[in-house]
Amino acid sequence: MDLGLSPRQEMFRDMVRDFAEKEVAPRAAAVDAEARFPAQTIRMMGELGLMGVAIPEEYGGAGGDMICYVIAIEEISRACASTGVIMSINNSMVCDLIHKFGDERQKRRFLIPLARGEQLGCFCLSEPDAGSDSGNLRVTATAEGDHFVLNGVKNFITNGREADIAIVFATVDRQLKHKGISALVVEKGTPGFQVLKEENKLGIRGSSTCQLLFEQCRVPRENLLGEIGEGFRIAMVSLDGGRIGIAAQAVGIARAALEASLQYARGRVQFGRPIAAFQAIQFLLADMAIRIDAARLLTYRAASLRDGGVPCTRESSMAKLSASEAAMWVTTKAIQIYGGYGYITDYPVERHFRDAKVTEIYEGTSEIQRLVIAGHLLG
Amino acid sequence: MRIVVCVKQIIDPELPASQFRIDASSNRQRPNGHPLVISPYDENALEVALRLKEKAGGTVAVVSAGEPSAISALRKGLAMGADEAALISDPALDGSDAFGLAAALARGIQKLGIPDLVLCGCESGDWADRTVGPILAEALNIPCVSFVAQVDGEDGRLRMRRVVEEGYEVWEGAPPLLLTILSHESNIPRYPKVKDIMTASRRSIPTWSAADLGVEAGDIGKAAIRTEVQQLTLPSRESRCELMDGEPAQQVTTLITKLRERKAI
Ligand SMILES: Cc1cc2nc3c(=O)[nH]c(=O)nc-3n(C[C@H](O)[C@H](O)[C@H](O)COP(=O)(O)OP(=O)(O)OC[C@H]3O[C@@H](n4cnc5c(N)ncnc54)[C@H](O)[C@@H]3O)c2cc1C
Ligand SMILES: Cc1cc2nc3c(=O)[nH]c(=O)nc-3n(C[C@H](O)[C@H](O)[C@H](O)COP(=O)(O)OP(=O)(O)OC[C@H]3O[C@@H](n4cnc5c(N)ncnc54)[C@H](O)[C@@H]3O)c2cc1C
Repeated sequence: MDLGLSPRQEMFRDMVRDFAEKEVAPRAAAVDAEARFPAQTIRMMGELGLMGVAIPEEYGGAGGDMICYVIAIEEISRACASTGVIMSINNSMVCDLIHKFGDERQKRRFLIPLARGEQLGCFCLSEPDAGSDSGNLRVTATAEGDHFVLNGVKNFITNGREADIAIVFATVDRQLKHKGISALVVEKGTPGFQVLKEENKLGIRGSSTCQLLFEQCRVPRENLLGEIGEGFRIAMVSLDGGRIGIAAQAVGIARAALEASLQYARGRVQFGRPIAAFQAIQFLLADMAIRIDAARLLTYRAASLRDGGVPCTRESSMAKLSASEAAMWVTTKAIQIYGGYGYITDYPVERHFRDAKVTEIYEGTSEIQRLVIAGHLLG
Repeated sequence: MRIVVCVKQIIDPELPASQFRIDASSNRQRPNGHPLVISPYDENALEVALRLKEKAGGTVAVVSAGEPSAISALRKGLAMGADEAALISDPALDGSDAFGLAAALARGIQKLGIPDLVLCGCESGDWADRTVGPILAEALNIPCVSFVAQVDGEDGRLRMRRVVEEGYEVWEGAPPLLLTILSHESNIPRYPKVKDIMTASRRSIPTWSAADLGVEAGDIGKAAIRTEVQQLTLPSRESRCELMDGEPAQQVTTLITKLRERKAI
């Protein structure tokens, strides 16, 4: 069993780290404070191949794998968690989904510009009344000739404001419950599709989170991904990959908090000694490091299973749950190590703390992850 | 135009000074598993080469002398856009000074095929000797222009901006030439693209020994040294804090006086 990175993965990591430190990190505080979408960074990431890391080159991607993908999300999120989630949604919830479930024409038309980063995508599953209970959708897709007509509201959609392409889950018949759900590609500018509202958030403030309205929105039938009624399965398989990305995002945030804590603990002097000399602080640092490494290993395991084409629902839930809770714990303790300064926006750890929280919520709350894992255990 | 860029792999110079360790027996920095990178100016030199290639066509090769680990520096060079790479690695190189390294590099460059242009960094990020470039030019018997910040080429003639103390000089010359390159806004190294990293990682890079290059044992290693590092120590840094008294205007005057006294401004 080899847990090390290959030279190729190391070279990839070095590039992303270098890019993240020079281009992403210096803007992170402003992106957060001004709730500003980092458009220029995202454009550069597209040119480098970071918006379609694990998509084959023939479809505009970089030809990497899931391990590369999680390495990239960790490095970018360590610098800026907002940039991390923008990238994560485009990679795993949009590109990977179209690559797995789109037909050849859909891949040529939609996937190539998305994977190249020339366009941005969003994933629209949640609704005001369907969050954890995502099989219970109210947005309807009514067949009319060679079109579907969409009606209803989607909630909390990341990249909603900037996206050129939306993957929309809608039901053809509410009676059918999740078996009626179908996935459609909706292009920006389609009449009847608009952004209703943009949320103001605690963390990941540089990424937009929007309510989207579909009103008599006509979508060509050829934009249907997979079969009618296959949408829920498509969403769940995609979430297996997405959760690995969120796990990596959480690991990145936690690592940023640990690194900041180490630096601060070495420099801050109280009672005539750097606080790092106090065992109480050392124990916190040790526990932070263990939780981060454990979460990263679970994340790599899930990613490598997915690379091997092995079902990984349980493993990806474990990674996501463990990493998001590690991130919340580590960032909380980071503030503790900083003392009062940790509570002040001049220092980065309060941002890491605010950014970490959402990883316990989106792409399935911690409770939902536990249900998934227990479900697998109990069979 | 055929261009060869000499790249040296070094321990990441961004490493905090507190982690810097010296091996007293060899008077060298201890690797200690620290991250290894391409010496910074060498990336600027590679960027210059890639831009010349993009403008006027031709090929770019990267060559390094060092430990087998330097393969990863060369691979990054390929990922950034170099067409060819070669490593010169031999235990016999151990103990070399700039003359020994230049002798080995010259033979490696000749084996790649005589280029129009050889680019070096103006100084390495670890020893900062600033000597390998000029000595290599001598070994290759071609002219050398040092501390070049910008290069433009037309019709086989190159215009170079050479940085000097109070400004810059403009030089013109026809290849073959060796230039040592400084960082400048026109040569900020590009990030390799992910797909190029994937391609570069599949390329095999030849490793040449001294024998492969026909380098005589007497030209490299300890036997060939003309300079020797006698002692290597870490600089000790002291920091002191001084508070300026008085009104802000008075504080500023005192500060300026003190900075002048220390020749900081
Ligand atoms: C910043 C942000 C970005 C988002 N981006 C997207 C996006 O791009 N696309 C998208 O589709 N969605 C997105 N979401 C929505 C997100 O996935 C949902 O918020 C999440 O699934 C939870 O749904 P809910 O908010 O409706 O909470 P609810 O489902 O109402 O849950 C409330 C609480 O009840 C608990 N709970 C619910 N059911 C159970 C149960 N059966 N057992 C135990 N506890 C339960 C939950 O764990 C939670 O603690 C985003 C959300 C946020 C905050
Ligand atoms: C294999 C090896 C063994 C060594 N052994 C010893 C030793 O035993 N004791 C000791 O004191 N020192 C040793 N050194 C250090 C050596 O003395 C210095 O590297 C040498 O004096 C050149 O100085 P510099 O590295 O500062 O290069 P500079 O002259 O500052 O370099 C300028 C430019 O020359 C090029 N260049 C320099 N070195 C290389 C290289 N290796 N490959 C490709 N391009 C290069 C780069 O473009 C660089 O930017 C060794 C170095 C090497 C590579």
